[in-house]
This record gives sequence, structure tokens and C-alpha cells, in this order.
Amino acid sequence: MVDLSWLFHLASLFPLDGMDMRFMQQALVALVLLAPMTAALGVQVVCYRMAFFSDAVGHSAFAGVAIGLVLGVNPHISMPLFGLAVGLIIMFMQRFSALPSDTVIGVVFSAVVASGLAVVSRNNTIARDLQQFLYGDILTMTETDICWLIALFVLFVLFQIFAFNRLLYSSTSSIIAKAHRVPVAFFEYLFAALLALVVMFSVWGVGVLLVTAMLIVPAASARNLASSAGGMFWWAILVSLSSAVAGLSLSVQPWMGTATGATIILVSCAWFVVSVVVSSVRNERQS
Amino acid sequence: METDASPAIVFDHVSVTRSGLNILDQVNASVPRGSCTVLIGPNGAGKTTLLLALLGEVSYRGSITLGGGRGLRIGYVPQKLVLDRGMPFTVAEFLSMGVQKRPLWLGISRDAKKQATALLELVHATHLIRRRVGTLSGGEMQRVLLALALQQDPELLVLDEPSAGVDFEGGRLFCELLDDLRKSRGFTQIMVSHDLGMVAHHATCVICLKRRVIAQGPPAKVLTGEVLQTLFGMHMGLICAQDHLHSMPAGNEQNAPCGEHHHG
Repeated sequence: MVDLSWLFHLASLFPLDGMDMRFMQQALVALVLLAPMTAALGVQVVCYRMAFFSDAVGHSAFAGVAIGLVLGVNPHISMPLFGLAVGLIIMFMQRFSALPSDTVIGVVFSAVVASGLAVVSRNNTIARDLQQFLYGDILTMTETDICWLIALFVLFVLFQIFAFNRLLYSSTSSIIAKAHRVPVAFFEYLFAALLALVVMFSVWGVGVLLVTAMLIVPAASARNLASSAGGMFWWAILVSLSSAVAGLSLSVQPWMGTATGATIILVSCAWFVVSVVVSSVRNERQS
Repeated sequence: METDASPAIVFDHVSVTRSGLNILDQVNASVPRGSCTVLIGPNGAGKTTLLLALLGEVSYRGSITLGGGRGLRIGYVPQKLVLDRGMPFTVAEFLSMGVQKRPLWLGISRDAKKQATALLELVHATHLIRRRVGTLSGGEMQRVLLALALQQDPELLVLDEPSAGVDFEGGRLFCELLDDLRKSRGFTQIMVSHDLGMVAHHATCVICLKRRVIAQGPPAKVLTGEVLQTLFGMHMGLICAQDHLHSMPAGNEQNAPCGEHHHG
């Protein structure tokens, strides 16, 4: 196991009550790693119109855990692997099926949710975990999870360096991109795989119900605030990171006492409202 | 044996079937090098499908040979681009995404910006460089898409109804711009058009398509009453086209021999 104590020590310096506790330090580190990933991938999800895709992958989390428990595999391994498989299956079916994209996703979505529920209905001991997947709990992130998140973060940074421009090209028009010799399929599969893994880790933090919000809301706010595609990338990260840190800080206040995932999303929704106002004022000035 | 005189594209018994319906049926045609070849035909004739087959976007039977078998660098200009109009995506970024190695979130490099400006100069649209792609008009968008295609330094430029959604004057200027670029850069151009007037003035080769090839050759020889009636089922096109043909500039047939109807 990699020694992460320096990272947790750094997190303990954050001026917030309770940061002396390890689970709070782990939660902060996990959020600081997750937020930029969901934000930047969210920009690409908005460009590709893939919100439904990420929703379907998120909803496969419970089936991943349930199947893992039935097969005796650690849920922390079975869940991301199952999500990855679901993501790649959807991409494959979209490419080679004559069905519209949302129909393909709808079929896979139904299949994974039904599989999860079918397994759960046979085994009551798994059923009690359901609530954690619905609402998530960033405070239960383990040190091993954080090691995996760091590895994923490195992959994410490399991907954004090498694939950002190509993905922008293919999301603008895959036909033009292919005609102009961009290996569209390669980048799309890579993107789907990375997105599926990030979605699965986000499910631990904010739950199945809010995972799509974590991708979409910062990107939607950034769309209103930025004036270029590069700017949108940075705005999304700023919105997501600040929402994550503020959401964690607020949720642990005694007078709030709310779920961390939900509080994070509420803060980013407040960002979105501000972005709508800024965008309206800007448009009015220009007209 | 391959020679430079070989056609840019040879469609050999190309057929496309979708849901049991023949979209294209045994299409045989050739596109001369350096020509401005225009596909004409009624709606549902398979013009766009033939272009998509050429781009490898639809599966087909038969063969399509590019550049005598060695392949050609393609630039593609679609009819329109479906974009989120509110997306913050500048023309400079649009023209840099394909050439810049550095991710655009680290800014546009000086070289990429210089190249984008040079491309926009070619299509007389340098003033658009700071604009958002989503705010461009139909005509402006066509120029920016053409600039993106020219970035490929294409040997074959494929255009799907470039003047659709553009006013008459805009369409005429766009075609003139394409003529100038084709002559200066030496690429072959294949495009779909519904505008017979434009075809008569700018095309050097016409392929009349109605699921199969009805006729092909230089416009003066192909746009006859008989062909147009077979193609569109009425004489209206003939009247317009013949008027244009009589006033067609002599330089219009400067390019390579065209299709089956040419007698060299």
C-alpha cells in the first residue's frame, strides 16, 4: 500500500472543524480528486450528449456490487469492473446497432437495474447496502479507494492531454473527424471506459441518484460562464471543486447535518443559477 | 497501371441496400482528376448516400477506388453542422483542434492561430476568428467548414449541398470561391447540388443519379431535356438549364475528360 499519510496531513490543514479525523481527511482528498475528473468529463458528456449514458453506467453500480457479493468478489473491485463492462457494451452496441442511441442505452439500463434488483430480492443481506448506493457516502471512502482514485486521476490527466482536442473534433461531427483521419472509434471507446470508471467511483461519493448531476451541473454552469472551449474546461473544474469543498464543509456543520453528496450538488446548482444570471446580463449587453 | 491521368474516383457497381430498399443500384461512374463533379437528382435519389459510401460511412457492395487505388486525402464539408448554439467554442479553436498537439485547455498555440488565420484568409473570412461557432450564419458556417476541410490539404474535396441554407448571392460567391481554390490548389471536387443553374455554370462534370446513374458527362452534353425528364419527370429543369448552358462561359470545360459521355 502506498503511504498517503502526507496527503492526509495536508488535508488536515484545511480550516474546518473535524479535519483532525481521518475519515474527514479521506473524504476531502477523495473529493479533490473526483471533482476535477467529473467536471472535465462532464464537459465532454455535454458535448457528446451522453448524460443518459452516464446515468445508465451509474445505475449499474448496484448490480456490480450485488453480482460481486454473490460471486464472492470484493464489491470495490466488482463494481468498477462491471460499470466498465456496461460502458463498453453500450458503446459497442451504439456503433453496430441500427437502433437509436437512447434506445440502446435504455435497454442496457433496464437490464442492469433489473439484474441488480433480481439478485437483491434473493438475498436480504445485500438489500441493506441499497441505501448507500442510492445516496452515496463520501465519508466511507477507504484508503485503498483513494489509491485507486489517484491511479485513475493520473490516467485522466494523460487522457485529457492527448485526447481533448480529438474528442472535441469527433463530438463536433464524427463524419468530418473520420474523413479528416481522426481515429474516432479509438478515442470514443477510451472516453467511455474512463467515464464509466469515474462514474463508478462517484457513486461511492454522491450516490446513483446524483452522479449525473455531478457531471452535468458544473459543465452546464461552465457553458454559461466561459467564452471558449478551453475556458469551459477550467470553469467546470472551478465550479466542481469549489462545490465539492463547500458541500463537504457545509454538510458537516451541526446546523446543516445533510448528506454530503446532496449538499455538493446543491452548491453546484447555486453556481448554475449564478451562471444563468451572468450569461443573461452578458447577452443583454451584447445585444 | 496507375497514371496521373487515372480518374480521381471510380464507382464500380456500387449498391446500397437499407431495410430491404435499394438506395443505390449498381452505380458505375468516374470522377476525373481536377474536375468539379456535381451529383444531381431528385430527393431520395441516393446522392448523399453515395457521398457517405465514398467517406466509408455506409456499407456498400461493389467498389470505390480513390486515386487509382493509392487513396486520396479527403476534405469534407457537410451540408450543415448540428451544434449546441450556446456552446462556447470559438472559430479559432475549431480550426486548431485538428492540428494542435497541445490540448486546447492550455490555450491556442501561436502556430495554430497563424494557420487558422491563413485558412480563414483563403475563404475570405478572417473577421470570424474570434466568433463563437454557434453564432455563425449559414454562409459563414460554410466558409469555416470549408477552411477546416482545406486544412487537410485535400486531394479530394467532398461537399454535400454547400449552398443549402445560403441565399442566392451567398451561394454564387461560395461556388466562385470553390472554383478559384480548385484551380489554385489543384484538388478534385465532388459535390451534391439541387441548383441546376449553379451546376450549369460551375460543374465540369455532372453525374445524374436516380438510384442508378442516368447519365454522366460535361453539363453541356448531359443536361438535356431527355435526361432531365427522366431524372425529375418534368421539363422545368430543362428550360432553366438550357438557358444557362447557352450563356455558359467557354472556360467551363477546361478540365479533364468527364465520364462515359465524353468523346475524346
